Amino acid sequence: MSRRRPEVWNCRSAPRASSVEDMDAISFSGVTRTYGDVLAVDGLDLDIPAGRTVALLGPNGAGKSTTINMLLGLLRPTSGEIKVFGDTPSRAVARGRVGAMLQEGSLIPELTVAETVGFVRGLYPDPLPFDEILRMADLTDLAGRRADRLSGGQTQRVRFALAVAGAPRLLVLDEPTAAMDVESRRAFWDSMRTYAARGHTVLFATHYLEEADQNSDRVVVIARGRVVADGTAAEIKAGAGGQAVSFTLGAQPAAGLDALPGVVAVEIASGRAVLRTSDADATVDALYRKTTLDVHGLRIDGADLEDAFLALTQEP
Amino acid sequence: MPEHVKIETLRMLRNKRYAIFVVAFPVGFYLLYANLWGDQVDDTTGLKAGVVLMVSMAAYGALASSMMSTAVPWAQERESGWLRQLQITPLPRWSIVVTKLIVSLLLTLPSLVLVGLAAVLTQGVSLPPGQWAGLVLAMWLGVIPFAALGLTIGSLVRADTAQPLAMICMFGLALLGGLWFPIDMMPSAMKAIAHALPSYDYATIGWNIVAGQAPPASAVLGILGWGAVLAAFALYTYRRATVRA
Repeated sequence: MSRRRPEVWNCRSAPRASSVEDMDAISFSGVTRTYGDVLAVDGLDLDIPAGRTVALLGPNGAGKSTTINMLLGLLRPTSGEIKVFGDTPSRAVARGRVGAMLQEGSLIPELTVAETVGFVRGLYPDPLPFDEILRMADLTDLAGRRADRLSGGQTQRVRFALAVAGAPRLLVLDEPTAAMDVESRRAFWDSMRTYAARGHTVLFATHYLEEADQNSDRVVVIARGRVVADGTAAEIKAGAGGQAVSFTLGAQPAAGLDALPGVVAVEIASGRAVLRTSDADATVDALYRKTTLDVHGLRIDGADLEDAFLALTQEP
Repeated sequence: MPEHVKIETLRMLRNKRYAIFVVAFPVGFYLLYANLWGDQVDDTTGLKAGVVLMVSMAAYGALASSMMSTAVPWAQERESGWLRQLQITPLPRWSIVVTKLIVSLLLTLPSLVLVGLAAVLTQGVSLPPGQWAGLVLAMWLGVIPFAALGLTIGSLVRADTAQPLAMICMFGLALLGGLWFPIDMMPSAMKAIAHALPSYDYATIGWNIVAGQAPPASAVLGILGWGAVLAAFALYTYRRATVRA
């Protein structure tokens, strides 16, 4: 399959915002970053229009954090160019256009939530109203609490509040839910969507497929420092060649199923056959016409993103 | 920057370790020593020990404060990711280190004022207003080399190393600089070391002011020289610690 699929960007029908917002929020061209001999990011090209919510999906060590640190001006690319709203990353940060929640980061233990949020908010030229920040991060009841008395999940919420406090046009989140339980995760993504819904651009890194699927309108899969797939979650699943045709096999023989058109793999579990196929129509057609099997309980499922992800990020 | 100075100051004032080392120690030791030897009179200067001890303990408090409010908090901020959090806001890089220095200077004032107050109230120390003003100003600005040393330590090592290192430097400077015992009591080798230390220069300026004398040029030049060298170190290590890799 093709390693990069830039053509999918154009299939989406979402209207581009006009005038000033028309420029790309993020643009990487030919960006490379090495650490000594190790190539962490390998000729990355990526353009993200303003107003989108994009997931940067990849396994550990794929180059996600390096990419994000370069985007924020914390790391310099070894070669290539990065623009954030047409500026260098450092300049965009200095102009208050970027807010971020990095993977690690604790707060000042002796300061309260309100003091910390108020201080960071005050560093930006055009921040969100204070009460709104607390509401969005669900911190209103914790405003007077000192940072050293917060739980892990509460600390994450404060860090989210710090990231959005300045009303940045670009919000960057590096594996934001890594330390959260299920309940906190759901609440977190709700907050993120509230922020994105105001027309802000959001880029988040994750290695959770579900998160990428559910919370973004575009998924950029990276592996070994390169973009290996780019599109909506549905497009990526389809592109990775995967649907699954399953039916109740019972005691019938499974021989020959793997020879049906489109089938790439056959699994039999608890009396059900699951055929992984690149062409579900052809497979089903052949199943009825060319076999003598008694087929019932037929189901066709999209391959889950997990399969697509594994197929895309596998070591060659 | 004023907001940054405010939260950094607040944060240190709420820190128990700071309160103990910077406020309780110097005032407590002043009360103890002055009670024991406060009435002794120095033959050459005619000064009561209560006055000399006031300068020594204020110097110790200011020295401790300037190092405690820089080395460990700064190392912790680098390590914990708070520095990165600040680096992705519009806050300029120079502003972070300037804020640290201002806060460190502000935080020496409580120990200077409290030791002075203890001396006035318990030992009846009285100085002409001009001497008070000169003393406070000299002892206040004189901590710049120590704040710079603290920042250098915080830039160079991790928090768990910065803690003992800052302590050793602080007690070493206090002890060898003659803040705890007069250097006249020390063997000659230690005396030579004392003369080379900024803490001795720092306290000497104070002792001369309360004696109504102009501080010796050697002490003033000593503190300026140390200040320049340590400030250069602090800036160099700060740049190295915060530079984009």
